Amino acid sequence: MEKKMGVYICTGCGIGDAIDIEPIKDLVDEEFNISICKEHPFLCSPEGVELIKQDIDNEGVNTIIICACSPRVNQDVFFFGPDKIVERVNLREHVAWSQEPKDEDTQMLAEDYVRMGCSKAKDMELPEPFKAEQEYSKDILVVGGGLAGMTAALEVAKAGYKAIIVEKEDSLGGFLKKMKKRVAPPYEDLYDTGLEELVKQVNDNPNIKVYTSAVVEKTSGAPGLFSVQIKTNGSVAEEKVGAIIQATGWVPYDPKRLESLGYGKFKDVITNVELEQMASNGGIKRPSDGQSPKNVLFIQCAGQRDSEHLPYCSSVCCLVTLKQAAYIKEQDPEAVCYVLFKDMRTVGQAEEFYKKSQLAGNIFIRGTITQIGEEGGKLFIEAEDEFLGEKIRLEELDLVVLATGMVPSSQPEETPKMKAPEGAEDADEEGMIEVPPDSGFYAKPALNLEYRQGPELPTLRYGFPDSHFICFPYETRRTGIYTAGCIRRPMETARVIDDATGAAMKAIQCVEMTEKGMAVHPRSGDLSYPEVNLQRCTQCKRCTEECPFGAINEDEKANPLFNPTRCRRCGTCMGACPERVISFKNYSVVMIGNMINVINVPEEEEEKPRILVFVCENDAYPAIDMAGIKRYKWSPYVRFIPLRCLGSLNLVWIADALSRGIDGILLLGCRHGDDYQCHFIKGSELATVRLSKISETLERLALESERVRFEEVGISDYWRIPQIIEDFMNTIEEVGPNPYKGF
Amino acid sequence: MEATNQNILVVGGGMSGVTAALEAAEAGYNVILVEKRPYLGGKVTQFYHYFPKLCPPNCGLEINFKRMKQNPRIRFFTMAEPVKISGKEGDYDVTIKISPRYVTEKCTCCGKCEEVCETEIDNPFDFGLSKIKAIYLPHEFAFPMRYVMDPSIVGTEEAKKCQQACPYGAIDLDMKEQVFDIKAGAIIWAAGWEPYEANKIEYYGFGEYKNLITNVMMERLAAPNGPTDGKILRPSDNKEVKKIAFVQCAGSRDENHLPYCSGVCCLASLKQALYVREKNPESEVTIFYIDIRALDRYEDFFTKVKQDEKINFIRSKIATITEEENTGDLIVEGEDTHKGEQIRMKFDMVVLATGLVPNTINIEAPDVPKDKFGFILRDDVVKGIYGAGCVRRPTDVATSVQDATAAAIKAIQSISRR
Amino acid sequence: MISWNNNALRDVLKEVDYAEEIYKCIQCGMCAGSCPLRHHMDYPPRKIFALLRTGNIDLVLNSKSIFLCTSCYSCIVRCPRGIHVMDIMHGLAHYAIKMGKISRKNTATFGQEFWKQIYKRGRVDEKDLSRRYFFSDGIVQGIKNALSMADMGIIMLLHGRMKLLPEKPIKGIKQLRIMLDKAEQESRR
Repeated sequence: MEKKMGVYICTGCGIGDAIDIEPIKDLVDEEFNISICKEHPFLCSPEGVELIKQDIDNEGVNTIIICACSPRVNQDVFFFGPDKIVERVNLREHVAWSQEPKDEDTQMLAEDYVRMGCSKAKDMELPEPFKAEQEYSKDILVVGGGLAGMTAALEVAKAGYKAIIVEKEDSLGGFLKKMKKRVAPPYEDLYDTGLEELVKQVNDNPNIKVYTSAVVEKTSGAPGLFSVQIKTNGSVAEEKVGAIIQATGWVPYDPKRLESLGYGKFKDVITNVELEQMASNGGIKRPSDGQSPKNVLFIQCAGQRDSEHLPYCSSVCCLVTLKQAAYIKEQDPEAVCYVLFKDMRTVGQAEEFYKKSQLAGNIFIRGTITQIGEEGGKLFIEAEDEFLGEKIRLEELDLVVLATGMVPSSQPEETPKMKAPEGAEDADEEGMIEVPPDSGFYAKPALNLEYRQGPELPTLRYGFPDSHFICFPYETRRTGIYTAGCIRRPMETARVIDDATGAAMKAIQCVEMTEKGMAVHPRSGDLSYPEVNLQRCTQCKRCTEECPFGAINEDEKANPLFNPTRCRRCGTCMGACPERVISFKNYSVVMIGNMINVINVPEEEEEKPRILVFVCENDAYPAIDMAGIKRYKWSPYVRFIPLRCLGSLNLVWIADALSRGIDGILLLGCRHGDDYQCHFIKGSELATVRLSKISETLERLALESERVRFEEVGISDYWRIPQIIEDFMNTIEEVGPNPYKGF
Repeated sequence: MEATNQNILVVGGGMSGVTAALEAAEAGYNVILVEKRPYLGGKVTQFYHYFPKLCPPNCGLEINFKRMKQNPRIRFFTMAEPVKISGKEGDYDVTIKISPRYVTEKCTCCGKCEEVCETEIDNPFDFGLSKIKAIYLPHEFAFPMRYVMDPSIVGTEEAKKCQQACPYGAIDLDMKEQVFDIKAGAIIWAAGWEPYEANKIEYYGFGEYKNLITNVMMERLAAPNGPTDGKILRPSDNKEVKKIAFVQCAGSRDENHLPYCSGVCCLASLKQALYVREKNPESEVTIFYIDIRALDRYEDFFTKVKQDEKINFIRSKIATITEEENTGDLIVEGEDTHKGEQIRMKFDMVVLATGLVPNTINIEAPDVPKDKFGFILRDDVVKGIYGAGCVRRPTDVATSVQDATAAAIKAIQSISRR
Repeated sequence: MISWNNNALRDVLKEVDYAEEIYKCIQCGMCAGSCPLRHHMDYPPRKIFALLRTGNIDLVLNSKSIFLCTSCYSCIVRCPRGIHVMDIMHGLAHYAIKMGKISRKNTATFGQEFWKQIYKRGRVDEKDLSRRYFFSDGIVQGIKNALSMADMGIIMLLHGRMKLLPEKPIKGIKQLRIMLDKAEQESRR
């Protein structure tokens, strides 16, 4: 695109009172050869916008630099069509509202920001949406044909898309097949499982194709372009799909590990899963003598909430027990059920079902079991009863039911091992090391992805491949692959249905956006994507290893193979690349580098230090805006550069900046670690890792390590911004000016 | 207003409504969103942190607003609510009412009006814990970022003063309530929830004792943009809170109030206990509970909070709260059902963990199945109007988002069936 | 060690009104917490219910708690499960007397506990019609009447006719105390 640039400066909102516009107009002309530079007292007004539109129409302006408020506001006002480049220079929040008006330093700050904006606009290209050579598929693969899988497939089909279910068993249904009844809102009664109807709906729907006794042998490709090999009855079928929903469910916790609760020792100690199966297959009987039980004890948290077994709460077992107690009462109204529990967790409206169960005469005992035994063919237990504050003994028990928990189907029985990297401390004798849960090599096979970062979804704790985002619970670390149902976290059937329905939405959305060349969350709609200059690639593998989403494969020569439809456009690969061969049309190492280069660095004698601040545009940047809105003041010596994610920070920028005489570099990014806030999961963490390696660069330049600092800033930490800057300014003052000034 | 039954109408611009709107729009559908408040984001905008990550709600909202700003398929109206719905799946007529904001799109948020305005009103954003000018930006992160004038000053000299102070002619004192009709093929009701009114629990004395607050008020005390700049100080004398109690099930699981469990209050109190411990390291926290309900992986959060020795858990439904004369301290009484002892303990401040009441469909509208508490049920019989989030069950943010995502595809199906 | 005896509860369920509601109890402690006589109870009501569920009837019928109830209604009004705590307590007291577990004489002392509470907390709800009936001759006479009946088991006589809201001391509690003192002096004459 032949660029015709125009600079438009708003003097409203105090900008005109804070800075002189004339010198800016001069520098725009002299330094960037931009002849069109206009000011307006109210640029976001219809008149102001009209001024720009006229230049677009009459002068052919197609690259518009708006020097006004933050890019966070008035996006719609300053939108001139998809074929125009708009760059925003934040003279309001970052200058007029946070600096001394009409001060020399304020003026220099504003001028630098305009320079940086012009430079950026000059280097920016309009992104062209990625379009694969192959044909896109909008079909959705659903792995797992239980309640979650069938629901997801049906929802997909009802919305007009095609779904393919792959179920490993010989019929659909999953755990629903073993269930007698469901407990569900409004929690007034037990309901039929609806299995037959559901299976019928699936089978009758022309938009759903079902493979039973089938497994996914291999999944290659990327969103919109997945190619899936399905092994079924000895043959292999191939399907093209656009997105995947993994709904492979759960397995019961292994009760053999619960010997202390009598399982395996006493015949009449069974699990809730076994009871459910009995209930739906002819009735509940004592395994020892086939009699219908009169006195039944349910032991809640049989393994759950126990660091030795399942540290988490399995969330459904309280309700399941209430349901099963109802089965027993139904079978024999004279029967008595006891429930020994830790906390009764019937959340929401399910509390009603608890009350109903109490009214049915079931007896709830809060406490811990201390002993279980057999006496005259019946079971007894002793427990600490927390309600009575005494030891209790329950005798003549016909049946003891262990309310065991759910384990995600992704959890491997044994932690897999991999070859330890050199020098790893935890390596065993054979040089192997345990695979961490957040690796793609951890989970049990289900998808068999041909991904460089492993065949399965990375998991969080306990093997759940759940999202750790509160606001974005469907985000997995593999684009276009969503999880649904109990593989995500233990949940009751009503929640499974909702969850699978939502997953269907995400899958459809993904195929729609992919087809348009758009990124999915969190940079939804972004059309840019990374392009690589392979000729200069040194096959260092950093990009393929560091991509938080496993988007980049490798060929046999270790060349990176980009899959743009897997890409979330965070730029982590760009930041990782030591050869600077990865770039986006509107975001590149060169572009940021040039922005740094246009910053005016005064001579040492002027005693005007320059600090460069790389800012996460998702959280730290809005925080700085808020600081401006609050009219907090900070040093006029800092220059902010927003980054898509700190993960895209390339160390060359730091080296370049320091060698230009910039006195210090500050990084403002999201919290990382267990409770990470980085929208790209690993971005800010990777930035700190890279930063730890900057010492080498600093040594080479003979500079102090204090000149570079990382600070965690959350979006609501705006009140800390002035202090963070001041602290860093003080450090830089102590360290002294950068000796490279003027070189 | 364009007449088309291809629109999805989303009622409520909180976390659930915004999510539902975005999910549908990004899949290529047109969405109209109406929000009663002057800004989007809903209740969570008032919260300091989410459990269990202790991260700020604005972080996710910022991403969502960014998605919204660049998506032309979503149109939204603030200070707007539906007053009537008629029709059936695929073809609804909805009457929307927009209350006057008295500030137009021309507002740049320069703040000049606020500078000259002298009248102060109770700040709704801080649940009345602070005052705000009668022309105000609801909060720093308000989206859309635009001022709003309180109707109480309209027609006064004060209002004219504000109008004159505005350099951009953005104040329109003649603005009137607008009522108009739109067409929609499907409706997502995501109107959220209100905290249970604590003064209905007579034996606690909420409203009488200054240092007795609710859990939502606690969020404001902890928030850096709150009435105390994020310091946890007690309202009566701004003293730093050293001894604090959380009273769980304040109204919830109670047939006299809300028979259902509100689902999130345990986790909210665990989280708020951490706020107090973090901000006032000398403090001691006591949580009075019946059952701690930390489902699934939230159990980890409970485990983490339990590890803090200064956070005590006492199993008791608190029976009475009284105020000590002179000190303003609160005396809490009840039975410790674990020890079987009567307790009488004194605290600087007491937080009532009040529950969630659904903002259910309360206007003239086609019948939608609800449970006896007003929570909207989703079944396959009645289609076209779908609940999302806390109008379906009292629940946390992640579940609301999942649910809203599910509601979006339901709405899409209602449209594509036609 | 407490052992279970399921069958023992059957008679209680038959004899005591609302007894089936004990199953609804979630053991929150609200009943005792709001009871003015909580400090005098050996077992709080919720524990009485827990014991009943175990079928250990004797422990319950020998508990003095069941005779303490002054019918202030606080527990009923506040029980989150809507259990008729007060009625069950009265029912159990009746049943205990019927079963010969306790003599009527012993119940008299409990009546005095009640007045101690009024003295301390000082609240009688004037809106309560039945209370007005009781005090129809004026408050001093009413108190005298009540005290004179203490020997006959005041608790049961007061059942349903009086409301005591203990949560807040009334304004002018001093004056009430003077009145009560006077009433007591008179009753001792």
